[in-house]
Amino acid sequence: MKLRRLNSWSLSVKMPLTLIAIVAGVAFTIGAAVIVEEREQQRAALEGQAAMIGRAVAATAAGPILQNDYWALYKMLKTVTAFDPATARDSSVNFGMILDPHDRVLASLDPANNPIGLHFVTINPSEEQRFRDLLRTENAVTRWAGDSGFVEAVAPVRANGSPVGLIVLRLSAQELGARNWSAAAMVLGLTSAFVLVGSLLGAAISRRMVRPLCDVVSGMEQLSQANLHGSVPRIAARDCDEIGQLVETFNRISGELTEKRRLEREMALGEKLMALGRIAAGVAHEVNNPLAGMLNCIDTIKARPDDPQLPKRYLPLIEKGLHRIRAVVQNLLVELRANQTGPTDSAGCLEDVRRLITTEMEGRGIEFRWTNNLEQTVCIDELHLAFCGRCRRLLPVIHNLLKNGVQAMPQGGVLAFRSWLEGNTMIIEVEDSGIGIPPEDLGRLFDPFFTRHSGGTGLGLWVTYRLVQNMSGKIEVESEPGRGSLFRVRIPQLLPGKVAA
Amino acid sequence: MFGHTTRRRFLLMSLAIIAAPVANAADDRPVRFGLTAVVVRDSLSFFERWADYLGRRVGRPVQFVQRRSYRDVMQLIETGDVDFAWICEYPYVQASPDVLELVATPIFQGVPLFRTYIIVNRDSPFATLEDLKGRVFAFSDPESNTGFLAPRDLVAKRGHSVDRFFRLTFFTYSHAETVEAVADRVADGGAVESYVWEHLRRTKSALADRTRIIERSELYGFAPIVMRRGIAPRLGTAMRNALIGMRKDKEGAKLLVDLSLDGFGVFPSSTYDSVRAIARRLNEEVSLQ
Repeated sequence: MKLRRLNSWSLSVKMPLTLIAIVAGVAFTIGAAVIVEEREQQRAALEGQAAMIGRAVAATAAGPILQNDYWALYKMLKTVTAFDPATARDSSVNFGMILDPHDRVLASLDPANNPIGLHFVTINPSEEQRFRDLLRTENAVTRWAGDSGFVEAVAPVRANGSPVGLIVLRLSAQELGARNWSAAAMVLGLTSAFVLVGSLLGAAISRRMVRPLCDVVSGMEQLSQANLHGSVPRIAARDCDEIGQLVETFNRISGELTEKRRLEREMALGEKLMALGRIAAGVAHEVNNPLAGMLNCIDTIKARPDDPQLPKRYLPLIEKGLHRIRAVVQNLLVELRANQTGPTDSAGCLEDVRRLITTEMEGRGIEFRWTNNLEQTVCIDELHLAFCGRCRRLLPVIHNLLKNGVQAMPQGGVLAFRSWLEGNTMIIEVEDSGIGIPPEDLGRLFDPFFTRHSGGTGLGLWVTYRLVQNMSGKIEVESEPGRGSLFRVRIPQLLPGKVAA
Repeated sequence: MFGHTTRRRFLLMSLAIIAAPVANAADDRPVRFGLTAVVVRDSLSFFERWADYLGRRVGRPVQFVQRRSYRDVMQLIETGDVDFAWICEYPYVQASPDVLELVATPIFQGVPLFRTYIIVNRDSPFATLEDLKGRVFAFSDPESNTGFLAPRDLVAKRGHSVDRFFRLTFFTYSHAETVEAVADRVADGGAVESYVWEHLRRTKSALADRTRIIERSELYGFAPIVMRRGIAPRLGTAMRNALIGMRKDKEGAKLLVDLSLDGFGVFPSSTYDSVRAIARRLNEEVSLQ
């Protein structure tokens, strides 16, 4: 879940964050390494210091030890370790002692607790054994006891090859700890400052790098939304790197796409004009033919006004011509009418269409197969919730398709009607066994005034097509010359929200 | 007229004659002056000023020579390596009059006397010398009266065996360092010359205040300034006069303030009788053993 959310983050956020994370990771790793290294070095330095002091005392202690010069030994310890009993806590040496081979104290920086001349009693038996072993060693030995807060140096004092004493020194590691802390704090501070600066820099750089990408993304969105109108502004490319190339490519594509859309718009306009021209020509043709006949009739009547037979003979012809013109005009206006929906208009029933078409094909030798699998069988009104307001558009569609099928079978045949619901889509099929449509005519089938037989106006299928389009539907044709055609109409169900519209 | 001139010439000549041996005596050879742990030598500049002062008074540069122990200084006197020395009263009463001669005795708190303080750490529970039985004790110098003989005498007077009374003893070879040893608790107790302790309390109170006095001895003649037999009597007189005259001039008085002394004077030999008594008792002890 989180991962998906992370995936949906903007690159302008992810990239700076990634950079900050990398910078912080590297900086803090280095910082930690420096702190550890510093700590090790300080520790080694402190051990070295302890060993050095131990050796320094050991080197000069032999004489005073042999002479029992306790004061000289004490002064030596005090001087070499710069120990001040009055301010013992401020010294780095918090423990210093010279023992004789029998663990008797010869000198101590803490004489109140380890009086000279007495056995050094506070050590535990294992430590006592350790000191005895150390008496036999030649060199100073250091021991890190950071947990107890000190570094210990033990150096044997030898005179003429035999051990005469032992120097035990403990240097406080607490100051070291404090120094480590302050060093760590400094490193941490520096690292944080570096991270801050690096992050800001990284964020700025990545933002600068990502901004063209963001521009391209928003440009793409604009491109997809700016359907047929408007153009996408050019994006300024900063660099000549891959992103710059991408921006350039995008600019080129968006320019080409805008140009293409402009051309498409122009072509569509041209096509519309052409269609308009065709319609105008068709209308002119359709209207002109009856007009010529009617004008002839009128001329004849005018030439012989006294002939009472003429109006009787020609008026029906004129009326027929006018009806024909009205039919053409009505068909042209069918789309307009279909859009004028009103509550008073009552929708027809599928059965009405069935009855209508049945009477139309009487005596033509046509077998009619009616298969209505719509759940509400009889009346389209029943489906008004789903296909509300479109029934009146649907009935002419079915009527036109059936009529078209009848016309395609002058010698008779089989006409089939099937309707059913497929999911949210209503499907209507009208199939005839007529003459079929040659492939070259399939493209122009729904053009206005395209007709393949002399009797038609060529507006039937065009009107059907417009009505189906009006219902956001689709119309498909399958045809084989000589074997018949199949028209399939798919009407999508309106979503409940859109019903009111 | 003539007589006048002759007389003046004679005077000049006689001045020259008198001046000649003085000029010979005022050679560049420095007068060497031995110092012991009697004095607190914590300020080099003070001794430079004092040497300069004395040098101007005696007519020859004065050079102070410090040795760790009294014995070392006594040897320097015997071998003639030093002409004068500020030594302890015990070596003085012990030494043969053929070897050295008293020059002057310091005057401290109005008298040419001082005593021994038995001191312990300020924070220690010890109240009397008895409490220090079986403890660690710091002496200054085996040849010192106040730093060694007098405290031993105090112990002996209480009927203790001096050598067994303390668990452990050591020498610091300096009264000032005895104070330090007690202050640092290296020693539980210590014997210190009253003059040094009082001087330290005045000049280094941080150290002296970490100790406290639990016992005071009788008075002894103050550690004297002596000269070896055999040096020019005039030099000895000049040094004595220079020392005694310190309280009379401003510069000398200031040096005396720095020394925590009232002055130097010449006192009868009986001043050191109490020291001689201790020496006698000690010799009896030695002879008894």
